[in-house]
Order: sequence, then structure tokens, then C-alpha cells
Amino acid sequence: MSDPGPNSVFNSGFGRRTFLKGSALTTGAFFINSKFTHLRLADEPSSPFTTPWAQPLAFTPYNVPLPAFEPLADVNFDNFQRYDELPAAHQYKVQICEALHCPHPQLAFSPSTTYNGMCPGPTFMMRYGQPVITRFENCMPPVMPSYGSCDVVTHVHNGHHAPESDGGPWDLYSPGIYKDHHWANVYASDLATGQPDSREAKGTLFYHDHCHDFTGANVYRGLAGFFLLFDNFDSGNENDTNPDAFRLPSGVPDGKRVRNRYDIPLVISDRRYDANGFLVFNTMEMDGQLGDKNLINGRVQPYFEVERRKYRFRILNSGISRFYDVWFSNGMTFQYIANDGNMIPAPMTLQNVKLGVAERADIVVDFSQLPATTTEIYLVNRMEQTNGRGPTGNTLPMNAAPKLLKLIIRPQTGIVDNSRVPTALRELPPMDVPVARTRDWHFDRSNGMWTVNGQLFDENRCNAACKIGTAEIWNFSTAGGWAHPVHNHMEEPRVLSRNGKSVVGTVMQGRKDAHPLYPGDEISVYIKFRDWLGKYPMHCHNLTHEDHAMMFRWDVVP
Amino acid sequence: MSHRDAAKPDSDAVHRALTRRSLLASLVFPAAAVAAGCATSQNAKRQPTIALTDHELGFEPKLGATKMESDGTRSFRNHLLHDQDGNAVRYQDDLIRGQIFAATFMYVDCKGICSEMTGKMTEAYDLLQPIMGRPVQFYTFSLAQDSSDTLKRYMEARGLYGRPGWKFLTAPKAVITDIRWGFGFFDADEELDSNLTTHTGMARFGNHRLDRWSSCPALANPKLTARSVVSLFPSDQRPYIAALDRKQAHPARKIPNFEPLPPSTQGEG
Repeated sequence: MSDPGPNSVFNSGFGRRTFLKGSALTTGAFFINSKFTHLRLADEPSSPFTTPWAQPLAFTPYNVPLPAFEPLADVNFDNFQRYDELPAAHQYKVQICEALHCPHPQLAFSPSTTYNGMCPGPTFMMRYGQPVITRFENCMPPVMPSYGSCDVVTHVHNGHHAPESDGGPWDLYSPGIYKDHHWANVYASDLATGQPDSREAKGTLFYHDHCHDFTGANVYRGLAGFFLLFDNFDSGNENDTNPDAFRLPSGVPDGKRVRNRYDIPLVISDRRYDANGFLVFNTMEMDGQLGDKNLINGRVQPYFEVERRKYRFRILNSGISRFYDVWFSNGMTFQYIANDGNMIPAPMTLQNVKLGVAERADIVVDFSQLPATTTEIYLVNRMEQTNGRGPTGNTLPMNAAPKLLKLIIRPQTGIVDNSRVPTALRELPPMDVPVARTRDWHFDRSNGMWTVNGQLFDENRCNAACKIGTAEIWNFSTAGGWAHPVHNHMEEPRVLSRNGKSVVGTVMQGRKDAHPLYPGDEISVYIKFRDWLGKYPMHCHNLTHEDHAMMFRWDVVP
Repeated sequence: MSHRDAAKPDSDAVHRALTRRSLLASLVFPAAAVAAGCATSQNAKRQPTIALTDHELGFEPKLGATKMESDGTRSFRNHLLHDQDGNAVRYQDDLIRGQIFAATFMYVDCKGICSEMTGKMTEAYDLLQPIMGRPVQFYTFSLAQDSSDTLKRYMEARGLYGRPGWKFLTAPKAVITDIRWGFGFFDADEELDSNLTTHTGMARFGNHRLDRWSSCPALANPKLTARSVVSLFPSDQRPYIAALDRKQAHPARKIPNFEPLPPSTQGEG
């Protein structure tokens, strides 16, 4: 990033002329080194040049369950809520360990923190009705060689999980320790019937580190991966003979197995590298961090060859502070089917989708609609953002927008594409439970400290005791100057309004776990409390803000 | 001139209107080791003065600049400060290098958060009592050029004077601003940045040897502050403080026969 940004001394009333005058008076050696002149122009040194489209889009392999004859030892099943009702069908073991990761041939192998040595982490392919137990072993060294923490705890973002398996920031643990998570993979209950409700299904989730004070650094170092959930409707099979099945483009790539796979997870992130190509992180940054290299699935500006047919892209903004406005460079439309991994009632035809940190968008794009002369297009980001506080509000011209991914369209004909985008997807769950109370949550800053409702975070203080089986309205708001993509654990509310306007017919119409509050925004949601008792956090998902305690705790109580 | 005298702000030399421009002119360019701190005291003036530039010392010409050393540690400008007893200390040499510390910013006449902040840090100190002074240090920097005497009286009034490992420190505004910016506590808006009534309430935690840094509100529950300090240690060398234990609903357990995995090389992906 060459823009000095507002934090630069050169944007702060200290003019270029004064600078030159002062330096000339104080030291004659000042002008000799041209590199010095370069440094004064940027807050952070720019990353080295990398040739775009030098490598194909990569995919991490699936997480494989342990064989039944080698189960995990010493699982304490008694600690899991409802375990007798929802016993594990499979068990997994993941080791959190150091690895050297190279995101581009012109960059170095940087020390990274990984799940099973992979960056991003291996993909969990999950199915409703099949609970699992996953053991995360912390195999990190006791001393980190650079930024980040050797303490870890893993959270499934948007998982409808009991608090003991949620991976909240207060459950961090050190090297040499493991923690078991019971992921029930059960729909949230319909409170009217007490039964799991398929309208509450979630699809595109991700798992990531949530270590208190160090989430941003640990995620930046590599601790994030996809967690995909399927059911009889979103079955992951475009040839499914079940009449209930959506038959969306299917087949999630499994490592190098990409042939005939059309359900494509894309985790977008930005990073910065030093002159030698090593990953760098500013541990003193308080506003938020921006990189100047765009990565998809762990690689800088990769390319992806597609067939002339429909694809499902699951786009995740994994942060840590950048917002995206994703377009195809030719302005082509696509079918928008899910917000934050949750199907909306009917697909929407859109040209772009905005993603705050941790937001997801599932889209279906049909490359068969392209003329034969079109052989390549790009996925681009038109959101202008010059610092970690949030976007500027400007939309970049298409030709000036940073390119994220090159899509090479193969010159094929006669392709059989059995996938479809049904006109009706998933109904929204009803808001049928009377509202027990309304709570306001105002995200703000005071004396450089993040506050929620004027209070600092204290994990020992419950800010909202919500009675199980009830519903509430929560109003989120923020002051000017900052964007806060706030995220709630476990329960997934339905959005009622944004800045007083109904969200019906907009991308916000459905259920969401991440609520992008732009400066001055107000978002109202309807939230139920079901299935599990205990404590959960809600926090800003600009990970720099989160690590500086922009968070509060709420509990589900009997 | 005694150390204590030297610690008193020299209004002629330094306390001209310290806008960000003059901060930079006095601090950033003529440079580090000697500039702002030395110019403020007779003691410093007697030292041999070699006006090393920021450039020669490897610092970028901006407030709060730090530089990475070949051993992976971080250097700050080696400012001169004075503690509550008037002792001269060097920022990098005495306060940063090799230290594990928590740093906060306050001033004695503050009518806002400072009193409560000192109270919370005192509670955190009490929790960390077994490791205070050795190896953990608390640094409290005066934002308003309080004299050493004033800081000492403030500490005495709060029962803090004489506690091992807690220094209250003063220096000219240019120096404190550079230190504050170096810890990331600044506002892009110059007016807000220089407004004492909205000054930072964040604490900066650092382990210089490991280049490990974190931050949380100094007004937070002192247990959180104390835990942030303990987490600065390598995980196998952390002092055990029972009061900081968390009760987890599903406690983590030890991996049998554990050894850290060596880093693997992942060529792809």
C-alpha cells in the first residue's frame, strides 16, 4: 500500500516543505539515501512485487475422521451437554503446529501456525444428524519465534454449539494440552415444537483460532479453515435424486482432487511481506491491519480454470480488518443464495456482494452465459479502504480495483450440467416467540479503549442473562468513524432492519451471525435462545479490535 | 545539579508549544539517542553529544518508529527519562531491553480516568506480587511532565512508593509522545491525539526478548490485566498464580508424552 494513510506523520499537519526544511537543517546526510525518501512516504513498507496469476488456486484436503478402531483416548463425555442424546458418529484429531508456508514463488517460506500443517486448515465436511467429537492438540513450541501466541483455542464460526465446545476466548490453552469439542451438528430447535428445525440450517462456516488477545495474530499466521455443513436439502450432490435436494453445483475440491468439482470455497484475506518475502504483522497496531497482497486460499493472486457451466463459490472474508466489495471484472451477474452461509428464501440476481470481516456469501455463477470470445475474467475488490478503521465509503472504478483471482474459461462445448438454482431455497425460521425484552448494544471507543454500552470487557461479568426458550430484540449501533463487523456466537438472529429500514428484499433479509456496522449504522435483530446453557461472547470481528477487548459476554440461563 | 533537579521540566528548552510539528522537528530528525531527552537536562548536556540521525540509527522518520534487530528483538529510540526518585533512565537500555513489563500513561492532575486506572493497576500488581520487580516491571509514564517529586508524592499517597518493579516516569512531552506512538496509542486526528482529557487508557504489555506484545484496557478487570502479563512468558515458564485460574466448563487436558512438533515445510497451498 503506497498510500501513507491518516496515521502517517505526513498527513498530520506536518507538511512536505517543513519536513525537507527541518531535515536539511538537522542533518546533511539526510538526502543521500533514496530509500529513506521512500520510507517516509509509507506507514508500512510495501511488499515485494509478485507476478500475478503465477500459480493455480489451491485447496486443502478434507479432514478425515479417525478410523473406528482407533478412537480418541480419554474423552470426558460427561462434560458435554446433551451428549447422550447426540452421541458422536465420528471422531477427528487435529494438531495445531508450526509449518512453513509459501504463498507465492517470489515470496519466502514464512513460519506459520497451522491446523495439521496446512494453510488454510483442512476442510471439515460435516452433515446434519452426524455429531462428532474433534480433539485439537496444541503442538506448538512454548516460545513463538515471532508474533502470535502459542496459546490457542478453536472456535467454529457460526457453529450452533454448546459453550464447552464453542471455543470462546476464555478457553485458551497452552502447548502440550488438548481440548475436545462436541459438535452436535443439530439444527437449532423450533421452540414451538421443541424439534430441530431445518429452516435453521447453516452451510458455509469456518473454524479459526480465538485466543484471547491474540486472535488476529494467530489467524493471520494461518489458523483458519472451512467448515461446511450439508443436509438433505443442501446435499452437496447436484445429481441427487432426492426431490427435496437443491442440486446446487456440487463437489468441494479435496486437496489436489479438483476435477469435476464445482463447489468452490474461496477464503479471501490480505497480508503484508517484508523485503525478503517473509510475512510481517504489526503487533503495535491498534486501529486494524491492512495487507497489500490479496490471497485466496493461502496463495497470492492465483488463477482458476473453470468450465462453461455453473459453479458455486463460497466466499469468506477471513480478515483481519479489510472489507470487500466483490465483483466480476466484466460486471456479470450471479445468483446470490446464502448470506453468512445461510440460504435465503429465494436466489437474488446481483452484480456484487459486500463482505465485512467474517461475512460469507454463497453465489452461483454460470460461466456458460459468457460469449465464446471471453476467455478470462477476474474477481475484483472495489471497496476502497486505506486504514484499519473501515472502508472510506468510496467504490473504486472497475479498472482500478485490485484483482483477487483470475478465472480462465476453458473453450469447451457440450458440457452436461445437471446442477440448478431452485427458485425456492430455504424458508426463514418464524419469529413466533413473543419478544421478552429489547436490548441495545452500542459499540464505541472511549480514551482509546473499546466499549460496549460504555463498559469494558470483563469475562467475569455477564452483560445479558437470556432465559432459554425466549426471544429478544437486540439493537446494534456504532458511532462515527469506525466500522465494526460484530459477531455473535452460537445463536443466529434474523435481521429486522438496518438504519430503520426493512431488510426484506435485500441481502440482509435472512439469518446472520456477522453484522457489518458501518459508521453510524444501526441494525436490529430478532434472536432466540435455545438448546444450550452457558456463556458466549459477542465481539467485533475486526480482529484488531477484538484483540483489544471489543467484546461482551452474554449467557443462556435456565 | 542533582538527578532530581535534572528531572524537572526545563520549560525554556522544551516546553515551547509542542505541536506535532515541533515534536517531529525536535525529535525525529535530529534524532534519537540524544535529541529530545538529552536536550532537556543539564545532565544530558554534559554527555558527549554525537548527533546521530534517525537514519544513521535505522529508525524511520516518524513518531513512534521502532526497528527490528538481527536477533529478532525490537529497538525503540533510547530516550532519557527520569523516575520518581529523579534517577535518569534510558528508555531502550533500561526499560525495554530484556524486560517483561506493563506500561500505562497518566498524569497526576487528571480529573478523568487516571486515578481509577492507577487503582486497577495496583490491583493487578497485587495479583502479580510474586513476580513483581523480578522479572515483571510496571511503567507509568506521565503525560503532563509531572516532576519526579510530584510523581513520588503521588506514589506515596497511594501506597505505591517503594514497591519493587514499579516506576513512574517523566520526560518532555516530545519523548512521551514518541513512546506512546511507539506503543500504538495515538489518534490520527492531531487535535484528539493531543487532547489530554481523552488520553489513552490502554496498557501495553511487552516481553522484549520474545518480541511479544499485547494490549488491553488498563481499566479492565485486574485479573485480565494480570493474565495478559503472565501470558508474556513462554508457556513452559509461566509463574503459577492461583487467583488467575479460569474455571473451564470442559477443561483441557495434557497430551501424554508431549513434544512440540517440528515445523513442516508445506510447499503448496
